[in-house]
Amino acid sequence: MPELRPPHHRVDPRARRWWTVQALLVLSGPALLTALALTVLSLLFFPGALPWLGPLLLAVLVLPALGYLWFMPKWRYAVHAWELGDRAVYAAGGWFWRTRRIAPLSRVQTVDTVRGPVQRAFGLATVTVTTASTAGDIRIAGLSDADAEELSRRIGEAAQLVPGDAA
Amino acid sequence: MNGTAPTAPAPEWRSLDPRTVAVHLSWMAAPLGSLGLTALATHGRLDARAWITLGCIAASFAVVTTGGVLRWWRTRYRITADAFELRTGLFTRRLRAIPLRRIRNVDLTAHPVQRLFGLTVLRAGTTADGALTLEALTRPAAERLRAELLARAGTTATAGEPVLSTVDRRWLRYAPLTFWIFGGVFAVLGTVWRVLSDIGVEPWRIGVVRDAFEEFGNSALWLTVPLALLGIAAVGSLGAVALYAENWWRYRLEWTDASTLRVRRGLLTTRSVSFERSRLRGAVLREPLLLRMGGGATVRAVAGGLGSREENCKRSQVLPPAPRAEALRVAAGVLAHEPGGDARTLFDRPALRPHPAAARRRRISRGIIWVVLPGTAALAVLGALLTPVLLYCALGYALLATPVVLVLAGDAHRSLGHGVTGRHLLIRSGTFSRDTVALERDAVLAWSFTDNPLSRRAGLTTVTAAVAAGQDGYRAPDMAAGDAVPFAAAAAPGILDDFLVTAGHGSGGRTGEGRADALSPSGRRP
Repeated sequence: MPELRPPHHRVDPRARRWWTVQALLVLSGPALLTALALTVLSLLFFPGALPWLGPLLLAVLVLPALGYLWFMPKWRYAVHAWELGDRAVYAAGGWFWRTRRIAPLSRVQTVDTVRGPVQRAFGLATVTVTTASTAGDIRIAGLSDADAEELSRRIGEAAQLVPGDAA
Repeated sequence: MNGTAPTAPAPEWRSLDPRTVAVHLSWMAAPLGSLGLTALATHGRLDARAWITLGCIAASFAVVTTGGVLRWWRTRYRITADAFELRTGLFTRRLRAIPLRRIRNVDLTAHPVQRLFGLTVLRAGTTADGALTLEALTRPAAERLRAELLARAGTTATAGEPVLSTVDRRWLRYAPLTFWIFGGVFAVLGTVWRVLSDIGVEPWRIGVVRDAFEEFGNSALWLTVPLALLGIAAVGSLGAVALYAENWWRYRLEWTDASTLRVRRGLLTTRSVSFERSRLRGAVLREPLLLRMGGGATVRAVAGGLGSREENCKRSQVLPPAPRAEALRVAAGVLAHEPGGDARTLFDRPALRPHPAAARRRRISRGIIWVVLPGTAALAVLGALLTPVLLYCALGYALLATPVVLVLAGDAHRSLGHGVTGRHLLIRSGTFSRDTVALERDAVLAWSFTDNPLSRRAGLTTVTAAVAAGQDGYRAPDMAAGDAVPFAAAAAPGILDDFLVTAGHGSGGRTGEGRADALSPSGRRP
């Protein structure tokens, strides 16, 4: 019975810091700020509400935000991996929901390298390999700049060598 | 870009029908109509707002007319030896050309206003990224152009294959077995309400409406509520039948030649969609819950180049709600590349591998968590706070909802299945709409395997086949983790080969021993 092994290469270790910053900007930061603002407001205007509001904020906003900030980047780093085979490209992504996707090089249409502002600060890049189907696009996030460049060049070369129709 | 073709004997540019300008003005009917209604409702006394609206309409009229005339004047198209070219634009002239061999389907549609003027819209679709649309040709011109395009687009060995299906009056009985029986009535009521409030009429103020509601409130509710529901169902059925007729009047599905499947339908808005055989990647047999209980089904084609997801939804329908036997026949006919192949028996009780019992437990717990618990908890909390009657309601809800969830979860689990037969792979799932998807094995572009810690512990994996057609990704949810890779490898061999190991040895690790490529995560490069 054949089984799918994990891809060989992990993404760049700096990706963990990038994901932490992202978590702070997108989810954890706003949640913590909201909790802080509500606590301050309640202290100023409704001191009586604190006994029940405090635990509520802790359970609903603070702990989830901190948990996400702490676990998500580690978890993501454990899951994210990629590999370029002779005939196909293979990537694992996600964190709670893990997706492993494999597309043959003969079906590759384009290779995009994207660097967001935060990513650029860490010297990271995201490589997206597109096929004719949106459900077949492979996204490898958190590669080092140099790896990303090399990977996109090699996929481009390989896709030209392997015969097939991209349609 | 001056538009002259490089090839010497270029055919001359053709222009659109001038009546298109009139069609462009049709959207003004709605604001003018609502203004008229306002005038009626207020006995002709128009206030400042109405006058401003009228002014805006007049201004838009001028702009739209000018725009329409300019567009008509500056739009030209032609068919050269190898391309379909369209020239548009006033200041920046734009020339778009589609190589004829890349044209995958050509469809003609006409909404009621266009039909009034005898016009048709032609859309030539290529792969997912591009389509040329010609607004407003006369009907004969459009038919000619389509024949011309398709004749040069593909190989045309006219084999004179049979008509796959035509409409049958008796199928109308399936019309009420859709969402529209209740949903339609409420959608229409909602629209009427909005239009009325838009033009400043408050329905509650109308005496007749208020009296009717008051009387309803005072009547014997145990009798009038079911009667009202019955009435809504009757009206909904009528609406559903009307909608069915509007969509599927003079429906006809046929292979017009060896490589083109065409569906024609519609009463007020006529629609005619042609699929090129090489872009047909499969078919879906859909059995929504109500329709399934009534012994009916519908069929969709899985084809590329049909436009966005929404457009794809409209264009891909090849059979209206019809008896299941007819649906099986049509689905097989859509797939059959050679008549009498394996496709005929493909959809009828296919030999599918069922998904494990863990998948059923998953569906049950999902139903409990998302349906039973929230309702019960909400009612119970309200009951504890307000009145004990609601506590009994909570109990009743839990007792009623649990068996329903169990039955539906069992049905959802029985629906699940996957298999490989001949040239196709089969995936079936869903209970509210049980969909059996047959995809060409060659058409699979990529495989995805999705799981999470919970499903991994239950030994389940969701497999998605990516194709450049239809919905792009087709999911086989919650199959046994051990089945997933063998299924994918058997259905589309070669894709996974680089990354497979035999279970039992060497399945662990990202250690990278003996790998051929020099790329490494730490940045070591030649």
